[in-house]
Amino acid sequence: MNPAGIPLKEPSVSAAAGDTEQFERALIDASTRVPVLIFYTSAVAWLILGTLLAGFVSFKLHTPDLLSDVSFLTWGRVRPAHMNVMVYGWASMAGMGTAIWLMARLSRTVLRYPLLLVAGAGFWNLGVLLGLCGILLGDSTGYQWLEFPSYAAIILFVAYTLVASWAVLMFRFRRGEQIYITQWYLLGAFLWFPWLYAAGQLMLFVVPVQGVLQAAVSWWYANNLLFLWFGAIALGTAYYMIPKVIGRPVYSYHLATIGFWSYALFSSWTGMQRLVDGPFPAWMVTASIAATILTLIPVATVGLNHHMTMQGYFPLMRYSPTLRFTVFGAMSYTVFSLVGILISLRSVARYVNFTEASVAYSHLGLYAFFTMVIFGSMYYIVPRLIGREWRYASLIKLHFWASAYGIGLMTLMLLAGGFLQGFSMENPSLTFSESVESILPYLRGRSLAGILLTVSHFIFAYHFGLMLLGLGRKSTVPTFLNPVEAEGAEAHI
Amino acid sequence: MKGLAPLFLGIFGTFAFSWVGLTLIPNWQIGHLNPQSDEEGTDIYPMPQSGMVQWGAHVYAANGCVYCHSEQVRADYAGADIERKWGDRRSAPRDYIFERPVFLGKMRMGQDLANIGARAPGEETSPSPAGAVPAGASVSGGTNPAASPGATAGAPGGASSGAKQSTSPAAAQAQAAPSVPSASPAPQSAASSAPSPPKSAPGASPAATAVASAGSPPPAPPSGLASPSPGAMGTTAISSGAQPGTATAPSSGPQIAGAPWPLQTVGLPPMYSAAWHHVHLYSPRSINLDSNMPSYRFLYHTRRISDARSADALQLSGSDAPPEGWEIVPTYDAKCLVAYMMALNQSHPLKEVKSAGAAPGASPAASPSPASGGQPPK
Repeated sequence: MNPAGIPLKEPSVSAAAGDTEQFERALIDASTRVPVLIFYTSAVAWLILGTLLAGFVSFKLHTPDLLSDVSFLTWGRVRPAHMNVMVYGWASMAGMGTAIWLMARLSRTVLRYPLLLVAGAGFWNLGVLLGLCGILLGDSTGYQWLEFPSYAAIILFVAYTLVASWAVLMFRFRRGEQIYITQWYLLGAFLWFPWLYAAGQLMLFVVPVQGVLQAAVSWWYANNLLFLWFGAIALGTAYYMIPKVIGRPVYSYHLATIGFWSYALFSSWTGMQRLVDGPFPAWMVTASIAATILTLIPVATVGLNHHMTMQGYFPLMRYSPTLRFTVFGAMSYTVFSLVGILISLRSVARYVNFTEASVAYSHLGLYAFFTMVIFGSMYYIVPRLIGREWRYASLIKLHFWASAYGIGLMTLMLLAGGFLQGFSMENPSLTFSESVESILPYLRGRSLAGILLTVSHFIFAYHFGLMLLGLGRKSTVPTFLNPVEAEGAEAHI
Repeated sequence: MKGLAPLFLGIFGTFAFSWVGLTLIPNWQIGHLNPQSDEEGTDIYPMPQSGMVQWGAHVYAANGCVYCHSEQVRADYAGADIERKWGDRRSAPRDYIFERPVFLGKMRMGQDLANIGARAPGEETSPSPAGAVPAGASVSGGTNPAASPGATAGAPGGASSGAKQSTSPAAAQAQAAPSVPSASPAPQSAASSAPSPPKSAPGASPAATAVASAGSPPPAPPSGLASPSPGAMGTTAISSGAQPGTATAPSSGPQIAGAPWPLQTVGLPPMYSAAWHHVHLYSPRSINLDSNMPSYRFLYHTRRISDARSADALQLSGSDAPPEGWEIVPTYDAKCLVAYMMALNQSHPLKEVKSAGAAPGASPAASPSPASGGQPPK
């Protein structure tokens, strides 16, 4: 396990060997341009649509009469539409784009079979579009994150098969014996997702399990999607981006191994804690609560590993957009897991089980953790595909702060509101409407946070659009958030 | 990590472990339950759903009701569900064996609906297989406008409802009688409620007291009940002031029916009857001013009255009412949705679950006897 074997230990443009390597990398990057950009562009389009839907959902929740007379704009349809657009449209597509690029780079081979990917992206978009229309027209299935009607689900699955078979092929053609940490996570994600999705679809729609087990399968699916698909992609990306940007190998390979396997083992067993005290055998819930608590192990090892890698290099976050977003995301992973543990404990779940606190939890995972890491990777990857640098450092800064404050505020509002709502709900001397009323101010606060996020996404989309149009800066130096004062400041601080 | 084999095996192994452990084993354990029945093979529970109910479940899913309403009652040690009268025993896997999809829900921006059908006043429209609750009960619950928890407790206690009854079928009959007396406790309880926080509309209370049918079980078809005078309807607002949402009638006994969440209002159909659900879906805030539920008007048609008002036309008042000569009727989807709700009823006892009623200790207030009504919420 000597760190020299890790491909990321970057000989920062010194040796002659560096030139060949750089050239090679440029070739690989170029080969990924079309498919990755297709994925990214679609993802950003879905992000904007999902954001608009989210704002609508958020406002309608405290203003129930807003446009409620139109069937396809009723809250109960727009909400799943928002969630699914974000989950399958934005997060999955952006995640796949990043994963494809990383896979090509880490396999050190030019991307083969780009058509598979282009077709995959096309079908995926079609699937999400059909699913979205299905939900709005009243075909939702009613299972969390599986609301897409079956005709959309099948198309998604076909699309996914194309992408996954590409990934496995690429992996076969890889050069070099070493399999880097990021590849473990990506391979895991690519192999887990189809199994998970197929199992969810089969057990809920094709050969439905009986009664309450449907709810169990649905939560098992939703939680594993969060951890084993989104979480795995995000962690893999962070393991690549952090060392890459600061030019220093990962602190400990052993820790990474422990982190990966404990992550795969424990986080896949979570999910049932969301059913606490429901009509289930107690062991299921207890097993998931135990697994949730045990996720402290991957959280601690991954967190420690990243922290030690960054040790001494934190000031670089002042300059590198990628690093800033990625580190924010990696830290949110810790917060996300801790909140998850907190709200899964029986004594706490008793209060917050049926409240907005669980929404805060999903947003922490899907936004503060996953989305921020993916934003970071996009800031790194897009210039390498297009050959231009990001145009405005100020826009990147605005994007970061609006996102960071937006998601922070949203999480606080929903957590505080959720706890309050839960306490009043569990106090039978208060009427039920009081429990609902107690959270309304927080929901308005959440709408405010939503506005911040909307602003940040529009800024990002605009900036991304500029890049697509080739309006980025022509420069050999990446766009830094703040001017780098001294030469070599980014090398060691 | 060198070597692919361990990586692939590990990736598959960990996930297979979770898949088997969290879906296959539970499926083996509770995935093949049968309805229960007594020794003679009668009194079967639960029963398969009717076609309308199944389509109603589809409408429920399509319009996202599940994002605000749960359908599960937690045990008394795990939450206040039973104290809030959402049921008189915890839900068990067997309750759901015929439901597809199952809407356990994970959010309560609205009431729990596991027993909404059990709260219905009479048999009438309810397709619920289990056969729902006798009439009278819920109505009485509605009586006090004060809405305060205490109050509700009072009334309902006496009237007790379906759930309770069903727990012990025999008892059920008996209960009819108690409902009458409930009228009397009501006032007191109302008084007691004074300290309670509800922001009831000021004037509202006393007058509003629709009280009404407390004693008289209204088995009449929903529309039949049609409220008295349109004029009366105006008063509706009141009820809402009363703050129904609160359903929560905190305190007392196991009677579900009594737990009026929205209170009975003058001029409205009996609470939790099919006709009432239609009005509520069409205009939630005409029943409960503080309701946070969107209206579902797109599930209803407005049409010109041809000969006579049709039987299922909504009894609306105030600004919601259609112009003269017009009426508002539910679509088939709306009817199915209401049929679905009326079929939600877990009041039948299950062998594997002890009912709160059977365990007086469970919560003091919960004591089974009708008398419990008077108890103040704790």
